[in-house]
Amino acid sequence: MTVLFAVVIALAAVSSLGVVLSRQTIYSALSLVLTVSMLAVLFLLLNAQFLFAVQLIIYAGAVMVLFVFIVALLSPDSEDRPTLDLRAVIGILGIVVVTSLVFVAARNGITYNTNGFHGVAVGSANNPYHAFSFPQDAVNNAGNVQTVAGQLFTNYLLPFEITSMLLLIAAIGAVYLTRRSSQ
Amino acid sequence: MLNPNLFPYLLALSAFLFTVGATGVLIRRNPIVVFMCIELMLNAANVALVAYGRFLNSEEGQIFAFMVIVVAAAEVVVGLALITQIFRLGRELDVDDLSEMKE
Repeated sequence: MTVLFAVVIALAAVSSLGVVLSRQTIYSALSLVLTVSMLAVLFLLLNAQFLFAVQLIIYAGAVMVLFVFIVALLSPDSEDRPTLDLRAVIGILGIVVVTSLVFVAARNGITYNTNGFHGVAVGSANNPYHAFSFPQDAVNNAGNVQTVAGQLFTNYLLPFEITSMLLLIAAIGAVYLTRRSSQ
Repeated sequence: MLNPNLFPYLLALSAFLFTVGATGVLIRRNPIVVFMCIELMLNAANVALVAYGRFLNSEEGQIFAFMVIVVAAAEVVVGLALITQIFRLGRELDVDDLSEMKE
């Protein structure tokens, strides 16, 4: 299990570097496919089966096909390898500093330890997240997809409906942007 | 039961993916690659949300990550429509050249 986590995390990190460093746009797109697929596996390992399916269908399927389609349609020139200018130095410094800071902070239990947030046990009465915490028994009984759906269509129904409006607006916007202008 | 020592590594992966994506937005000039880097940053947020949800025994992280995926899909649709429109105007695909709105 831990070995699987290590392999998936390493592959996701390396292929994300491939997105930024590839000279050909199509190689960036293929690296992003690998990153997204590895994150889908990570979701499966983290007991999020519904998100695993959504990630594969929407990201690795629809979004990446759209990207590859646009790359094939526009066939952009290959870029020069990014030079080590000020922006690149700031970026590399940011990667190193932020990643190590987050790792050290999480390691020392700044945000999470084995008892939950700030040492307050999950599910205890004085935990501010008590009302929303989901007991593992419920997930084991009903399955992940059913518990997610139960929350999504009760407590989170309004945000869910708003996202459907957002998708409709995006579709109309894309049609409006790509129409041929009639002069 | 999942090993709690894994949690820092998951958060570090999330931070790494986010900063790599931000660096890509800074240094790449092709708008298609810039959009891919934005996708990378949104995925990094999803990793953190799902990891927190898993380790706090809560489904809310997954629901929020689902919303993020929907927003990312909408963003890709509009962004790629803009890129094709820029291409149709006969402009070179280079974000450093597309700066008329600054003036």
